[in-house]
Amino acid sequence: MGVTVMVVDDHPIWREGVARDLGERGLEVVATAPDAGAAVRIAPAVRPDVVLMDLNLGETSGVDAITGIVATLPQTRVLVLSASGEHADVLEALKAGATGYLVKSASVDELVDAVQRTAEGVPVFTPGLAGLVLGEYRRIAGDGPAVPALTDRETEVLRFVAKGLTAKQIGERLAVSHRTVESHVQNTLRKLQLHNRSQLVRYAIEQGLADD
Amino acid sequence: MFRRAPQPATLIDVDRPLEPLWRGVVVYRVLTLVLVIAVAAFHMGSYASPLGAGLVLGVMTIWTGVLARGYLSSHRDALAIADLVLCAAIMLTTPLIVTDAQLDASTPGMGSIWTSGAVLACAVAYRIPGGVVAAAVISGVLVVAKSRATLVELSDIQILALAGLTVGYASVVLRRAAERVRLAAAEEAATAERERLARAVHDGTLQVLSHVKRRAAELGGGAAELGTLAGEQELALRTLLTRGRTDERDGRRDLAATLRALASASVTVSAPAHPVELSAAVVTELDGVVRAALANVERHVGAGAPAWVLVEELGDAVEVCVRDDGPGIPAGRLAEAAEQGRIGVARSMRGRVADLGGSLELDTGPGRGTEWTIRIPA
Repeated sequence: MGVTVMVVDDHPIWREGVARDLGERGLEVVATAPDAGAAVRIAPAVRPDVVLMDLNLGETSGVDAITGIVATLPQTRVLVLSASGEHADVLEALKAGATGYLVKSASVDELVDAVQRTAEGVPVFTPGLAGLVLGEYRRIAGDGPAVPALTDRETEVLRFVAKGLTAKQIGERLAVSHRTVESHVQNTLRKLQLHNRSQLVRYAIEQGLADD
Repeated sequence: MFRRAPQPATLIDVDRPLEPLWRGVVVYRVLTLVLVIAVAAFHMGSYASPLGAGLVLGVMTIWTGVLARGYLSSHRDALAIADLVLCAAIMLTTPLIVTDAQLDASTPGMGSIWTSGAVLACAVAYRIPGGVVAAAVISGVLVVAKSRATLVELSDIQILALAGLTVGYASVVLRRAAERVRLAAAEEAATAERERLARAVHDGTLQVLSHVKRRAAELGGGAAELGTLAGEQELALRTLLTRGRTDERDGRRDLAATLRALASASVTVSAPAHPVELSAAVVTELDGVVRAALANVERHVGAGAPAWVLVEELGDAVEVCVRDDGPGIPAGRLAEAAEQGRIGVARSMRGRVADLGGSLELDTGPGRGTEWTIRIPA
């Protein structure tokens, strides 16, 4: 069975265009949604493998939609497809649980490839995204010992990604398989997401929300 | 998206930041007038000329009324100087009205503490220099009018100088704060306007450009060229709308935003989400070095060859990497260029980086592409 996809974007032309592109390449678009509320409502009914998520959803936020979807559908992966440059939003989306990011100027081939890799659980990292994640780890390093840090190898891998090397090229340089490279990249994401979750839990406890 | 909350009301009225000080000056003037009249009434029987004393107090009362109106409207800077002159004149009537015996017994001269208000007014109007000069003038006149400089006069002079300095400084600080608030408000307005435009463009133009690009690519032929053009404009417009501020502020500039402006269809720029601020001169120079490296990629690898720029903050240093996937620079090629007297790109880049106190490393080889690493101590 083909990969099932839900497309969330507030622009009808774009939404329908992307849905058609994906359909023509053998992916099954099971739903589309124009805003965060609709996305969170519809997703549990169609249980897509991949949610293709724009971050700028009119008055609502794609980050909120990601939080809602990841909470109810742990098997569903979220790939952010957004305008380049919304740097802070992209980081928030990753912390909320997205496992990849692609700019809207990407070609149809790149998009289809990214959706397929996301469905397989492989993070979709552009060089720009690696730069953002590296910067974020450096920034939170100042917050104290409780924050996650990258291992030397993870830093090395992320830097290679940020400098435009492919997983295969990185594997050759480090004499490891590209799967190992991908798992390093995945770990850098997972730590950020765990940190985000632990912060949420701590916040909930402090606010007395987690008592019952 | 979050809407920014409206700017909270500040304590500072941006257009008239000195208003509170001027109100204070007027209140001080009225209170000291009452005090001086009370003291003069107590001494009235012993004055050499009670009539003269009454006249001077009358002039002071009228002048206080003039000041109360004038200091709360415009043209008050000139009025402060007139105030200073009139105060000096009033003090100089002291020998005609107050007896020597009274002055020996520490009876105040004419005007007394009321005249210190002129020092405050000059300090508000002309800042620290105004306050200090006015304090010197009133002090000088005080000594001349009473023709003595005992501990009483010296302590008055001390207080006058202190008041002139302090209020002058307050005037400077208030003006500066108001200027900051004004700039911040202007920036806020500019940002809001840009966000509004960005939303409008995002909602229309960008969608259409993206769509044209995609469909044209499918149609092929002449349409493909149109698609490419639409794609380039789409990228340029997105970059314009979403990049941070690249201009100089307080001598600092954001390196990340500055280098992001170099992104194109072939150049990818990766940087932290937050601003990487360095001195503006350093950023300008780094921008130049990165441009030189990218131009070099075009020349040696080919026009449109992909290149990547990475900006990293390492705590004690900032690193900028420029990499391409080209054939690499053959060993000895750089040295050869230098020997032939051609200032190689490498040498000019190295010189510029060294001038910034940084270092430049080159990693190249067949199958590795070319990678320049610029490191600048933070």
